Amino acid sequence: MEEFVVATLRYGTPLVYVTMAGVLAQRAGVWHLGLEGLMIIGCCASVLGLVQSGSLLVGLGIAVALCVAASALLWFVVEKLGANPIIAGLGLTGLGLGGSDLAVQAIYGSQATINAPIGLPRLGHQFGNFGVLSVLVVLMPFVVFGLWVLLRRTRFGLQLAASGEHPFAARSVGVNPSRMRLIALCLGGVLCALGGAELALGSLTIFAYGMTAGRGFMGFSAVIFGGGHPVASAAAALFFSIVGAMGIRAQLLFGDRVPNDLLLALPYIATVIGVWISGRLRGGAKAASSFGELRDY
Amino acid sequence: MEGKLIAVGRALAFVLLALGLCGVIFEFAGYSALEMFESIADGAFLNPNAWQGSLRWALPLFITACGVIISFRSGYFNVGAQGQFYMGAIAATFVVDFMNGLPAAIVVPFSFVGGIAGGAVWALWPGYLRVRSGADEVITTLMGNFISGLILIYVTGGILKDPSGTGQVMASRPVAIAYRISSETGLSPAIVGTAVLVGVLMWVLINRTAFGVLSSLAGRNPTMVVWQGARMSRLGLAGFVLGGALAGLAGAIEVLGPNGRLVSGFLPTHGFTAILIALVAGLSISGAAIVSLFFGGLAAASLYLPVLVGLPAAAIDIINAAIALFITARAAPGLGWLIGRRSRAAGGA
Repeated sequence: MEEFVVATLRYGTPLVYVTMAGVLAQRAGVWHLGLEGLMIIGCCASVLGLVQSGSLLVGLGIAVALCVAASALLWFVVEKLGANPIIAGLGLTGLGLGGSDLAVQAIYGSQATINAPIGLPRLGHQFGNFGVLSVLVVLMPFVVFGLWVLLRRTRFGLQLAASGEHPFAARSVGVNPSRMRLIALCLGGVLCALGGAELALGSLTIFAYGMTAGRGFMGFSAVIFGGGHPVASAAAALFFSIVGAMGIRAQLLFGDRVPNDLLLALPYIATVIGVWISGRLRGGAKAASSFGELRDY
Repeated sequence: MEGKLIAVGRALAFVLLALGLCGVIFEFAGYSALEMFESIADGAFLNPNAWQGSLRWALPLFITACGVIISFRSGYFNVGAQGQFYMGAIAATFVVDFMNGLPAAIVVPFSFVGGIAGGAVWALWPGYLRVRSGADEVITTLMGNFISGLILIYVTGGILKDPSGTGQVMASRPVAIAYRISSETGLSPAIVGTAVLVGVLMWVLINRTAFGVLSSLAGRNPTMVVWQGARMSRLGLAGFVLGGALAGLAGAIEVLGPNGRLVSGFLPTHGFTAILIALVAGLSISGAAIVSLFFGGLAAASLYLPVLVGLPAAAIDIINAAIALFITARAAPGLGWLIGRRSRAAGGA
C-alpha cells in the first residue's frame, strides 16, 4: 500500500504542478495547451543546465527562466497578435519538443538519453518507503493550498478571475486584464518548470526525448475536470495519477498476460472518461464554446 | 479577389515571422541560421531530385489536410488527425494481412475501405462524446492520438509482427509487392489520382453543396444554422467522421505505397503538419493544394538534413511549431471565427 502511494505521488507530483499552471491560466481566461511544451522545456533545461554547470540551482534557474520566457511568448502571440490559444498552445508544445531535441543534438550530437549525476534532494531513509520522494513532492500540497489562498482569498485572485470571466468589469475598476494574464501565464511558467524538473530529476534523474508523454495535456484535462478550482483540479490530477500508478502496478502483476502497451494507455483513457464526466456534469465544453446552448438534440 | 490576396499576404508575413523566430532559436542552439535555411531549401526544392521527394510527402499530407479542413470548417477542433491516420494505417494493414493471396484488384480497394473505416471510427467516438455530452473534443482527440500510438506499438509488436524483423524497429510483415500501389518513391498514378480525386470531391462538397455551406456556417454562426432548421450535432459529427476518414485514407496510402509496411511510431508529425496546412491555407481546399507542397518540401528536407548535411531534423519540427504559434494571429482574415469562438469561451481573451 505504501509503495502504491509512493508510486502515485511520483507519477502525480509533476502532473499536479502543471495542473496548477493550467488553473492559473484558466482563471485568467486562457486555454493553455502549451503546458506540455513548457513541461518538456522544464525537463530538458533543468537536466542540461545541471549537467553542464554541475549545480542543481543553476539547472533549476535556467528551467524557470526559459519556461517564463516561453510563457511570455505565448502571451504575446495570444494577447497581442490575437492568435487562437488552442493552436498557438499546440505550437508552443511543438516548439518545446523540437527545441529540447535540438538542444540535446547541439550539445551531444545525437538524440541520446541524458543522465544527470544528481537529482533533487530527497527525504532520506528515516522516512522509510517515502524516503525516495523529493522535496518538491512535499512542497506540492503547500503549492496547491497557496494557490487556493491566492485565487480565492486575495485581491489579486479576484482581479485575475474578473480578467478571465468578465474583462470589461475588470477594466472598469482599473485592472488591466492583459497584464493579469501575463502575470498568470508567467507564474504558470514557473510551476511548469518545477513540474518538469520533478519529472526529470525527482526519481529518474534522466532526460529523454518526449518524456512528458502527454502529461501536460493531462494536466489541462485535470483543470477541466476540476472546474478550474485549484484543489478540485489537483484531486483530478491525482486521480489520473492513481490510474497511471495502477497501470504500472498491473504491468508488474500480470504483465505476461495483458499487453503492456494497453496498460500504458490507462491514464489516457481515464483522462477521456474524466472529460466526458465533466461534460455530463457541467456541460464541460458548453462553457467552452458558443455551441453549448444551441445543441439541438 | 483583393481580400484573398491580402489573406495570402498576411499568411506569408506570419510564416516569415515564424521563420525569424526559428532563426533566433537556431543561432541560440549554436547553429548557423543561414546555413540551416539554405540546407532546408536545398533539401526541399532546390536540388534536382528534391521536387519528387516533396511531392511524395505532399500528397498524403494534402489528403489528411482536406479532412482537417472539413472538420475545422464545421466548427470542431478535431486535432486527432494523427491518431486517425494511425488507425487507418493499422486497419489497412489488417485487411491486407487478412486477405493475403487474393487478387490485387480486390485487396487494394478493400484495404482502402478498411483505412477509411479505421480513421472514421477513431474520429467517431470523440465526435459523439462532443455532440452528445459536451466532452471537449480537443482533449479527447489528443488523448486519442496517444492511445492510437500505443495501439500501433502493440500491433506491430504482437499480432502483425514481422518474425524476420531485426528487433531494432517494430514493424509489420511487409505488404506483398502485388498489393503495393507505388514504389518507395511514393509517386504513382494511383496515389496522385486518389489525391486529385479527394481534392476535387472535397472542393465540390464545400463550395457546391448544401452540406458545405451549412457546415461552414455552423462554424461561423451556429445560431443562424439552428434557426434555419439544420441539426448542428449531425453536421458536426459528419464533419468529424469525414475528417477521420480522409486521415485514415492517407494512412492506408502510406502503408500500401511508399512505406510498404506498418512501422511503430512512423511519421509522428503527420497529423500536426496536416493541421498546419489547413490553417495556413485559410481552410480552403485549393489553398491547401499549394501549401501542401511547401510542407511536403519541409518533410522531405527533414530526411535530407541529417543524412547529407549533418544537421538535426528537429529543425523542421521547430519550423512547423513556430508556424503553428503564429498562423492563427488575428491579422489573418478568414480565420477570425476560429479565434472568436474560443476566445469568447475563455472570456474574451
